[in-house]
Amino acid sequence: MMKQFLTNFFAAVGDKTISVFTAAKTLLLVTLNIFRGIFHFKNREKGEILKQAYEIGNRSFLFVSVTLSALGMVLVFQVCLQINKITGDQSQVGPEFIKGMIHAFVPILTAMMLATRVGAGIAAEIGSMKVTEQLDALRMSGVDPIDYLIVPRFIASIFMTFILGIYAALLVILAGAFMAHHSFGVNYNVFFVFDKVTWGDLIIGSTKLLAHGSAIPVVSGYCGLTTKVGSEGVGVATTRAVINSSLAVIILDFIISAIGLMTIQ
Amino acid sequence: MSIKFKNVHKSFGNKKVLKGITMQVQKGEILFVIGTSGVGKSVTIKHIIGLLKPTSGSIEVDGKKVEHLKEKQFIPIRKKVAMVFQSSSLFDSLNVLANIALPLEKHKIVPGDKIQDKAMQLLTEVGMEKYASVFPSEIGDGMKKRVAIARALAMQPDYILFDEPTTGLDPVSARRVDKLILRLAKDRGTGTIVVSHDLPSIFGISDKIAMVYQGKIYFEGSREEYQLSKDPIIQQFIKGTSSGPMETPGF
Repeated sequence: MMKQFLTNFFAAVGDKTISVFTAAKTLLLVTLNIFRGIFHFKNREKGEILKQAYEIGNRSFLFVSVTLSALGMVLVFQVCLQINKITGDQSQVGPEFIKGMIHAFVPILTAMMLATRVGAGIAAEIGSMKVTEQLDALRMSGVDPIDYLIVPRFIASIFMTFILGIYAALLVILAGAFMAHHSFGVNYNVFFVFDKVTWGDLIIGSTKLLAHGSAIPVVSGYCGLTTKVGSEGVGVATTRAVINSSLAVIILDFIISAIGLMTIQ
Repeated sequence: MSIKFKNVHKSFGNKKVLKGITMQVQKGEILFVIGTSGVGKSVTIKHIIGLLKPTSGSIEVDGKKVEHLKEKQFIPIRKKVAMVFQSSSLFDSLNVLANIALPLEKHKIVPGDKIQDKAMQLLTEVGMEKYASVFPSEIGDGMKKRVAIARALAMQPDYILFDEPTTGLDPVSARRVDKLILRLAKDRGTGTIVVSHDLPSIFGISDKIAMVYQGKIYFEGSREEYQLSKDPIIQQFIKGTSSGPMETPGF
């Protein structure tokens, strides 16, 4: 009885370990092939990167705008409310809010939203192609699916995450200033003080946007490529893409923040 | 000039699907790989073009062993051996003409300025020239199958693999696809492997039959030999009766 239990236990642990290492190896291979594919200019369909950039931007513009402006307003409202109870001095709200947004909040929040919106789309599209054997048909046509499907999305995602991040930072600061001015009477000149924002903040914020923008298509593309059979498989791949892309963004954000704090700041 | 399987085994995890497949098809011949659903027919032919790798055994295409080739080394094999997939597998995002043009461009089969003309010529060959600008989602299954055949022909292959080409088609469309397969095989002299369990197709156009049963080739011979066989398993398959000695996966 005990022997059987131990055998089953170690078999299950072994199976899980092997599958984790296999997944890590596949993800690494996909990543390497993506980086190699960036330089295969001849394999790229004309206008494909622009098309994907439009898809990513268009799909996420409203979502990012509404969520981040609402979040900016709520954050500033809460901060001003608490300060009013203690000192009543609102002069530091704007500068600290702007610094925090650029350094930390905007990159991770923009990327998390793109992970749900864009990541799910990439995994569903590639996953559907996998279950209908279109990926095999691509290989038969002399086309590398990673080169053809993931690399354009990878380049477009890096570019658009960066652009959307800058847009989101501007929007969230404007929304915060609007809330501070109309609810607590904070003067716009007092709010819009950028003295606290250092080059380090800008470098860390930009690095995060670039890193998150590259992680989303890699992880989502991997989830699409490893879709199991059937429409249920596509659903599972899409869910995995959202969860794993979000996790990748959180982990990268943590690493970049830690390195940034130790070196730049 | 032939495709040969020698004692090919294939397992997915603990599940053994192929347990020693040995068979061959010559150029200019139509071989039907038949058997019940889930027996491993499609798995068998996908080994030829590297979409699956065997657990053991060897596969030769015109004398060249392919079982250990890497993805890039399969490119010349995939120009030589084309495949028509079960669900046609046309690219959703491309129109019918672009579906044919893609392999022409990527395999560099014709010069860049001749690709559109060649693609249109192939569509004409399968009677789909009027649908060049429509997308796959706008045409029926029979039409998709013809476009998929045109795409396979784009590679000017020596061999074509058909994975259940008549499954899901009405009887008239199915026989038309059979007629097209027969015409292509005879006019172009290509070696053809057709995976099927559609009896009218099998007995209509095959030169040779290989029956897969329990992971092995249970029968290999001409269609006349197959039809005349007294073997109870073969007779049950031909008659399509539910009771008999034949074991089917999942039942």
